[in-house]
Amino acid sequence: MGKQLRYLGLGMVLLMLSGCGYNVMQQNEEAVKAAWGDVEATYQRRNDLIPNLVETVKAYAKFEQDTLTQVTEARAKVGTVQMSKDALDDPKKFEEFQAAQNSMSSALSRLLVVVEKYPELKANQNFMDLQHQLEGTENRINVARTRYNKAVETFNASIRIFPNNLTNQFLLHLKAKEPFKAAPGAEKAPQVKF
Amino acid sequence: MKKAIASFFAFLLLLPFTVEAAKIPLPRGYVNDYGNMISPSVEADLAAKLKKFEETDSTQIVILTVPSLEGDPVEDYSIRVAEAWKIGQKGKDNGILFLVSREDRKMRIEVGRGLEGKLTDLTAGRIIDLVVKPKFKAGDFDGGFTAGVSALIDATRGEFKADRKAPSGGPYVPFAGGMSPWLAFLILLGFFVLFAAMARSQARRDDLRRRGSRRGGTWGGYPPFPGGYYGGGWSTRGDRDSGSDSGGGFSGGGGGFGGGGASGDW
Repeated sequence: MGKQLRYLGLGMVLLMLSGCGYNVMQQNEEAVKAAWGDVEATYQRRNDLIPNLVETVKAYAKFEQDTLTQVTEARAKVGTVQMSKDALDDPKKFEEFQAAQNSMSSALSRLLVVVEKYPELKANQNFMDLQHQLEGTENRINVARTRYNKAVETFNASIRIFPNNLTNQFLLHLKAKEPFKAAPGAEKAPQVKF
Repeated sequence: MKKAIASFFAFLLLLPFTVEAAKIPLPRGYVNDYGNMISPSVEADLAAKLKKFEETDSTQIVILTVPSLEGDPVEDYSIRVAEAWKIGQKGKDNGILFLVSREDRKMRIEVGRGLEGKLTDLTAGRIIDLVVKPKFKAGDFDGGFTAGVSALIDATRGEFKADRKAPSGGPYVPFAGGMSPWLAFLILLGFFVLFAAMARSQARRDDLRRRGSRRGGTWGGYPPFPGGYYGGGWSTRGDRDSGSDSGGGFSGGGGGFGGGGASGDW
């Protein structure tokens, strides 16, 4: 009889674990981390393209040193601001990361405006290829950011609803994650258009 | 104050309508000519070609033309369509969407994650710039689509080979099937009860046999808690079920897209 009770108790514990959102919250957090991995990868992809772009532009637009330096500097700064998957609930760090990437974006778009003045550069096959790659990368960043924000939304909601909030408070202690916010003055991620 | 709050909520109510995006049409097959750009004979040719291509190479290429994007950025619209139609197989992510908007004079090749290696943004961009665009500019839409599809097929050829075992359900992945957590739990609970009963009868027999090692008798004689094993079995069955209903025409398999590809205009 005592044994039966013990089985019953174990069953109850299982029931509670699946009913209280313990697993759901863990899964949602993993989803956020996975989505963040994509965000990082796409930003990294953009960073990898930049030296090539700068070199190509340099060959044609010698008088735009300032703009080029700004891009190079922004790239260097982005390199120093790393966000680990476990710091996604730190608003300050997240803001820093976002600010660095945003300054990168604006330096890039300034460069691409400058390029308009150099028809030979625009007709250069190498540059046209780079444009396609950059365009694709910006689009990937956009997609990755949107998906990350969706994952964060799901996660943040899941730790706040009842009874998950109790489970979280007593067992998991997960904190809400930071979503990307639109850059001031821009409703969406900068689009590189030619 | 109350008025302010009320008007705020009224404003919120309006929001979804003001930002409503262009609707996604239903998939009709490999070639979805909602924009009326392709002549019927070429449309049939393209559909046959794409069907055959999927059979031999497993890659799904789907064409969609629309009259207008209704103000949406082409990148936005194309990824929403690609996701809604689930182009490509799950796990292989080998889908391609070739989207053309007639009035906006814009197009995009949206490339599934699994094909990004072969059909890079660069290759997709060149196909648009060098193959499709000149024909579209000359008003030869039939020629543009035919040449574009050939170029896409050439570019992706050999990236994946069709495997006969899983025609549309994708490869077998344990636990990948959508078994609801509740179902899983009920099954677990079922086993639990079963085990308890078995253990009890075993215990009684043990008692009759005058207490051998009781612990070994109750648990050791049976396989360990069978959650993982039986869970896997269940989801395979689900997989096979979903794979068997592949009718004619195009059916999406849940391929993933990450925003790869290229856009252009003419």
